[in-house]
Amino acid sequence: MSRAFELPPELEPVQRKAVRLEWLTIAYLVTAVAAMYLTLGNSQAMKAAWIEDSLSLLPPIAFLVANRIRKKPASRRFPWGRHRAVSIGYLGSSVTLLAMGTWLFFDSGMKLVAADHPPIGVVTVFGQTLWLGWLMLPALVWSAIPAYALGRVKLGLAAQLHDKVLYADAKMNKADWLTASAAGVGVIGIGFGFWWADAVAALAISLDIAHDGWTNVRAATRDLMDEQPSTYDDERPHPLNQRIRDELQALPWVAEAEVRMREEGHVFGVEAFVVPADPGAVALERLEEARERMQGLDWKLRDVVVAPVAELPGVIQAAK
Amino acid sequence: MRVAALLALALLAGCSYPADPDGTLERVEGGVLRAGVSPSPRSRAEVALIESFARRLDARVVWVRDGEEHLVERLEKGELDVAVGGLTKTSPWSAHAALTRPYDGEHVMAAPLGENAWLVRLERFLIEEAP
Repeated sequence: MSRAFELPPELEPVQRKAVRLEWLTIAYLVTAVAAMYLTLGNSQAMKAAWIEDSLSLLPPIAFLVANRIRKKPASRRFPWGRHRAVSIGYLGSSVTLLAMGTWLFFDSGMKLVAADHPPIGVVTVFGQTLWLGWLMLPALVWSAIPAYALGRVKLGLAAQLHDKVLYADAKMNKADWLTASAAGVGVIGIGFGFWWADAVAALAISLDIAHDGWTNVRAATRDLMDEQPSTYDDERPHPLNQRIRDELQALPWVAEAEVRMREEGHVFGVEAFVVPADPGAVALERLEEARERMQGLDWKLRDVVVAPVAELPGVIQAAK
Repeated sequence: MRVAALLALALLAGCSYPADPDGTLERVEGGVLRAGVSPSPRSRAEVALIESFARRLDARVVWVRDGEEHLVERLEKGELDVAVGGLTKTSPWSAHAALTRPYDGEHVMAAPLGENAWLVRLERFLIEEAP
């Protein structure tokens, strides 16, 4: 049985909502990035906040692209389906974050060491001449408050969908007010004549970007290396790991059982090895029953293999 | 808002906002404006603008004539307050000096980096007075 769509019916509206929100995020971010670009002047902190906002476009794009690819059914060429598209999108955007954060850290550090004094002059809007710094602040507010609201809503959806890209994206949006505040402090500092405030704020922002990148690169790499499934926030191993083991071991005809699972985007792939109590009497129905029982546990368990073995294979023994 | 309170305090205390880290505006007002000029067809008009700006600030201008590169170097060392001489908005000196808004859509003047009270005062003057 191969459903084209991997989510259970009750989660399909949630996924559609997530897709709509990601489109909304992209539309909103384009306006925020444009507002900051128009006002960034010579402020390094503004430049850092602007880069961070531009990079925040990557996770929603990765989410939307992966959303299209992963739905394609398994084929002879891609026998496991294409769920991994999600993890690859996740890795790509994390590497970019890490690289940009690191670059920005050195760029800002050099400015601080060289004691660069950022010049910020005036701008004329609607016939009024005012200090450009005053325009940076509303641009920063616009980059922070809607992002926070979007982040909060998406965080809830990520938990329901077990979607790590959505989760990382929501967390970044939600934390964006910190970046905006840091940049605001930098700009106000320039106004007071503290030229270093700008570079220091930019350093803080660059560390935040690099830290996000580093955390996500690690998480994405672990997924691609088939770490045991973890909860959507990567806080702890997913409870299904133990649950499946227990279920199998509790079957009356099973003497011993071990399981290995891996995460493929939203869903988990399961390989279960069972040692029957009486090797002569393994009925096909029993195995089918065990398989269906596991698939019934959770919508994430789609691809389950149950293998009867005389004894647990060495690689599984070693992992125990 | 703490920030708003700080700003209000600064304005009440008579500090200018934005401020100059090195106090250029304060020093020039009622004192000496150290200006540099390099030869260019625009120089005569720009010298006149700076002279008029100085009168506005109740300051006397001390002029230095030199090539652009030397003028920018002296701006960076804090030996000059402004440099003129047909600089344009695409000037490659923008990393070494604060360029004003183009006062006629094309030409700019150069001030020391980060002296924002000074830069803002000069730009406001140019917006009001430049042809």
